[in-house]
Amino acid sequence: MAHITINGKVVKAHEGEMLLAVIKRLGIDVPALCNHEAIEPTGNCRLCMVEITRPEWEGWKKNVTSCLYPVEDGLIVNTHTPELLEIRKTLLDLQLARCPNSELIQKMAEEYGVHETSYIANVEGDNCIMCYACTRICEVLGKSAISAVMRGQKKVIAPPFGEEPVDCIGCLACAQICPTDVIPYEDKDGIRTIWKKKFELVTCKNCGKTIVTRDFADYLIEQRRIPHEYFETCDDCKRLELAKKMGGLITKAAEVAV
Amino acid sequence: MNIDMNKVTEILERNPKEPGAIIAVLQDFQREFRYLPVPAMVKASELLHVPLSKVYSIATFYNAFSLTPRGEKVIRICKGTACHIKGADKILEQIEAGLKLKPGETSADMKYTVEVVNCVGACAMAPVLIVNDKYHGKVRCDQAMGKVKRG
Ligand code: FES
Ligand code: FES
Repeated sequence: MAHITINGKVVKAHEGEMLLAVIKRLGIDVPALCNHEAIEPTGNCRLCMVEITRPEWEGWKKNVTSCLYPVEDGLIVNTHTPELLEIRKTLLDLQLARCPNSELIQKMAEEYGVHETSYIANVEGDNCIMCYACTRICEVLGKSAISAVMRGQKKVIAPPFGEEPVDCIGCLACAQICPTDVIPYEDKDGIRTIWKKKFELVTCKNCGKTIVTRDFADYLIEQRRIPHEYFETCDDCKRLELAKKMGGLITKAAEVAV
Repeated sequence: MNIDMNKVTEILERNPKEPGAIIAVLQDFQREFRYLPVPAMVKASELLHVPLSKVYSIATFYNAFSLTPRGEKVIRICKGTACHIKGADKILEQIEAGLKLKPGETSADMKYTVEVVNCVGACAMAPVLIVNDKYHGKVRCDQAMGKVKRG
């Protein structure tokens, strides 16, 4: 256990966990767009910056991305200094220029007093903030079906050759992790379409609800050794079955007790 | 476009079969075919265990790689700050008119490709014109096409 001071308050934290996790646990509102527990932090969006110092630093301070800075005993952290507010404001102003149509960015910018970007707004662009959460989660899943293509202003996240991504299994992780919701997909008539690729959907044998794509189920069965019965029913029906079983057990236990 | 898959195999054979060798392999492809053919990239991805998406990412990141065939002679006109001030635009005009090609285009006979590049680190000799690997400095408008033809 380490002891750190956040905004004047001494708190306990685990040595080595990232500062952002502690800050979030305390309910302190520090914006963070590119961080997610399922992927390694990369510090792309820079919004989560906080100020750190130590008594022996004799007044010397620095700003670090809290999603990438591990807890050390004795650290003194400030999350809302005037300098940080200014930095976040500039960052959100830039993000708003890049994604003027993103409701999330609009809202976040608004909170920092940016009602309109002071840069030239990229009205025609999509809302991608280039945080790479999608490519990172795809890599974690062992697929790496999509990646950054081109560079500089022309950079986009896309499948190779702009075609249907061969390695994609339609798991939807990229679309779901995307903070600004820019990856479109559709589930219709038993078919999922994402990155222009079509996938057969596996549905619950009891209620007919969509579970996963056939390719994703096969992948999990083969590579992660998940039993295939797992993909016969949906989570809700599994819970129901479990409740029934448990109910039976409780009634039985009651009978025995009597 | 048909490519010689034996050449692809040959290149893959002489390079280490590990992810770290991907750029070297792509460079060899580029040298051999004057672009990166899709089947070659797919083969490299399989053999070096680099996801295809990453191969494509690298292929589109570096200007040294091209996804469409380049001409026998690649003419690069530097339009970095120094060359720009020294009249790179005028040199480009000469070449566009002489070869009837715009930057990024390749002639139908596959002889020439014209490209505009940023500072190539030879500002002292601005304006700079590069024909394949040969650097020409302090180029004058009336010399530009001659240099292109002679190499
Ligand atoms: S959340 Fe830390 S840099 Fe984006
Ligand atoms: S600007 Fe052309 S070489 Fe530097």
